[in-house]
Amino acid sequence: MTAPARPGDRPALRTLAAVTLPCAVVSALVVGGAVAAAPSSVRAPLGLGASAAAILLCAAVTVAVHAVRTARLTRRRLEAAEAGAGHLAQERARLVEQSRQEQERLREDAGRERARLMAELGREQARLTEEFERERARLAEEFDRDRAILADQRAQETARLTEEAARLRAQLDRATRERAAAVSATANAAGRMQALATGMLADLRAMEERHSDEEVLADLLHLDHRTAQAGRLADSVAVLTGARSGRRWARPIGMESILRGAMGRIAGYQRVRVHSASDTAVAGHAAEGVMHALAELLDNAANFSPPTAEVHVYVEEVPSGVIVSVEDSGLVMGEVQLRRAQQAVSGDVAGLGGLTGTRLGLAVVGRLSVKYGLKVSFRPSARGGTGVLMLIPQDILTGPAPVASPPRPAPADPPRPAEPPATAHATAVEDPAPLPGHGTADRETAEAPAGLPKRRRGRTLAAAERARAGARPAEPRATPPADDAKVRAARFSSFRQAVRATGSGPNDPQDPATDAGAAPPAGGAAPAPAETALDHPSHSHAHPEGDTTP
Amino acid sequence: MSRPGRDDAPDRLYTLTGGRSRSGPDSPFDLVTLVVAECEPTPGMQSEHVAILRMTQAPTAVVEIAAELRLPVSITRILLSDLHAAGRVSARHPRKAAVPDPDILEQVLVGLRNL
Repeated sequence: MTAPARPGDRPALRTLAAVTLPCAVVSALVVGGAVAAAPSSVRAPLGLGASAAAILLCAAVTVAVHAVRTARLTRRRLEAAEAGAGHLAQERARLVEQSRQEQERLREDAGRERARLMAELGREQARLTEEFERERARLAEEFDRDRAILADQRAQETARLTEEAARLRAQLDRATRERAAAVSATANAAGRMQALATGMLADLRAMEERHSDEEVLADLLHLDHRTAQAGRLADSVAVLTGARSGRRWARPIGMESILRGAMGRIAGYQRVRVHSASDTAVAGHAAEGVMHALAELLDNAANFSPPTAEVHVYVEEVPSGVIVSVEDSGLVMGEVQLRRAQQAVSGDVAGLGGLTGTRLGLAVVGRLSVKYGLKVSFRPSARGGTGVLMLIPQDILTGPAPVASPPRPAPADPPRPAEPPATAHATAVEDPAPLPGHGTADRETAEAPAGLPKRRRGRTLAAAERARAGARPAEPRATPPADDAKVRAARFSSFRQAVRATGSGPNDPQDPATDAGAAPPAGGAAPAPAETALDHPSHSHAHPEGDTTP
Repeated sequence: MSRPGRDDAPDRLYTLTGGRSRSGPDSPFDLVTLVVAECEPTPGMQSEHVAILRMTQAPTAVVEIAAELRLPVSITRILLSDLHAAGRVSARHPRKAAVPDPDILEQVLVGLRNL
């Protein structure tokens, strides 16, 4: 708290000059007088000394004045500072007093406030405790009531459920019995339908061979196709109901026949293109199942592709069996559909629950796959639709088909010594039957050196006779035996009959000798070739005149 | 008429011909037409075609082919027409004079029966 310097505090040069100037003037007058009064000889030294003395005097006077003034100023400042310090001490004491009073007041306030809050808290606590107690009592009461109600309800519910369970169990028992009965009845009916269809197909085949009129044949083929489809449906029902599968073939069935058999059972068989050079065959017991599964896959492919698109079937032999792939260019199956189809054909779905009326096919394939170890898988086809791969495992394949596709009667096979089955197919086809009317004798003798007795169509009896007699077929025969002659007569008659049927039909009635003597009317008692295969070699559309010769 | 095992091949006739039952109006084949193979069978052919080509390396009549294949003549003619259209077989018609009189055939038949 230093007081600001006032203008009079510091001695100004002006005031100093006011002291110095008179001093200097007086000194100068004294020096001048002394010099003038002095003899001239000492004037110069006296002048110099006096001047110097005068200057020193002036300086001393100035310094003295300045010192006195400065001392006075300093004393005045000291006094001001002392006064400031006293003032400050007084101020501080006042502030301390004030703060003490404030503190006391605040403490008092706080104490009061605290007491008030404590009281309030106590009241609130008491209120809450009371409320809590009340609530608790209420809840306990409510809980007890609810528990009682619930226990009651549970008892009722238990009774009801027990009753319901009993009822459901009875219902389930009845449903199971009914299901078993229905399945068994369905299986039975399917079996009968299969038998009917099979019989009808055989009948139709026989009729197709008997009627040479193209119109009739077209109609018969149409009926044949319809019947085959009906038969497939019956087969499907039989498979799903666990009945025995429809037919059992007595011999292995070649791949070509398998594919044709499958094609023949679907509606759109004309759109199926088969690319197969495989000559493997499927064992007789499994052939029907494989055919059926394949037919279902083909039917799916044909149904789910545009009506004009072709379905291509490829057969490929692999070490583990034969892969038949069916490729269509129809709808591409989505992820979910593919998975569902895959699941259906894997045979995992054991029950009949997932069946819908129109989609039996894949379930049938699943059942057959499990039964015969087929592996079916789906994938998108390069043709734009869906491709199905079916692997026929090696254990139901039997290598090249032992019989050429044009079927020969299976029974009454003469022994074929030393003929490996692998070459049977080729040999059978390469060596066509001798044909009556075209150098038969020559061809027979030419065939003889081969040394292998072969039963030919139309020569069953001859072959059987030869086998019985133990005669070597290699023997040169100058004159054909009587049996051969008889057979040849039979063949000739069938040939004649065929010629007459188309060429000169009206001539028939003019032949009383033949008709009366030998042939029964065509429609009445057509011979059943399977039964008479041994002694009636003629083609089934021919009259069995050969039999009647003595 | 039907009994199990009679129909001992699964092939239906319509699958052999792709559903056709007529061989066309200009088919050169009648029952006695002689058929001659013009080439060897190739792999991948229908087995009936293979059998026909093997059989007809020597001239063979249509009706005999049908008998050999155990197929109805109409079906055989369709198969032959296919082969003919592809140039794999040719048809030769027997000379008219070679067809004997039905009476003679009758007599031959009686004679054969009496053997």
